[in-house]
Amino acid sequence: MEMTEQIEKTAREIEDRFRPQIEEAKKKVSDLNDRAVSYIKENPGKCLLGAVAAGYIIGRIARR
Amino acid sequence: MESSESGSVNGQRMEANSSRASGALTVGQHVDRVSGSAHEAWSRTRETVNELKDRFDLDGRVNRHPYGMVAAALGVGYVLGGGFFSPLTARIFRIGLRIGIRMAAIPFLENEIRGFADAVMAGHDGEGEGGEGSSSGEGKRSQSKGSKGGKR
Repeated sequence: MEMTEQIEKTAREIEDRFRPQIEEAKKKVSDLNDRAVSYIKENPGKCLLGAVAAGYIIGRIARR
Repeated sequence: MESSESGSVNGQRMEANSSRASGALTVGQHVDRVSGSAHEAWSRTRETVNELKDRFDLDGRVNRHPYGMVAAALGVGYVLGGGFFSPLTARIFRIGLRIGIRMAAIPFLENEIRGFADAVMAGHDGEGEGGEGSSSGEGKRSQSKGSKGGKR
């Protein structure tokens, strides 16, 4: 029983320690995603042409 | 003599000047033509892109599925670049196929195993219920056991 309690306590401590960082990382990823989506929506032609060009280059490299 | 020589030199200069002038003109015309055709090609491309945008509702599609459209454009570029029949494509295709088969096969196998287990359990329960009430069930079981033992 003491062992289990100890493990639970350690797990809780680790969770408490890393929770803010995880939350921050989640927020950052979400912000990045929102910015990327809004950029794509604002400049669809540029993004699509850029993607086609990037795909073309990747295809040329893969062809070799 | 001198006058005739100076006249010929002047004539040559005049010819050179006139040819230079005509050369400059043709170069200018060429530049004008090239710039004109480039402008025309650019405007045509723009028109075509706008027409395609309107026809396929690209803006709407990009608004609905931004990442999907970018991925599709990447795929189009990849195919245009000649990467379709390449070892990389074969590898990606193989990995995708493997993952797809696994994803499709696991639920199928799970269902099959569950069905088999249910059938076995139901058969086991049926035998148990039958065997409790009648002696024939026990006889059958003992017969089967005996036959198994005999086979061994």
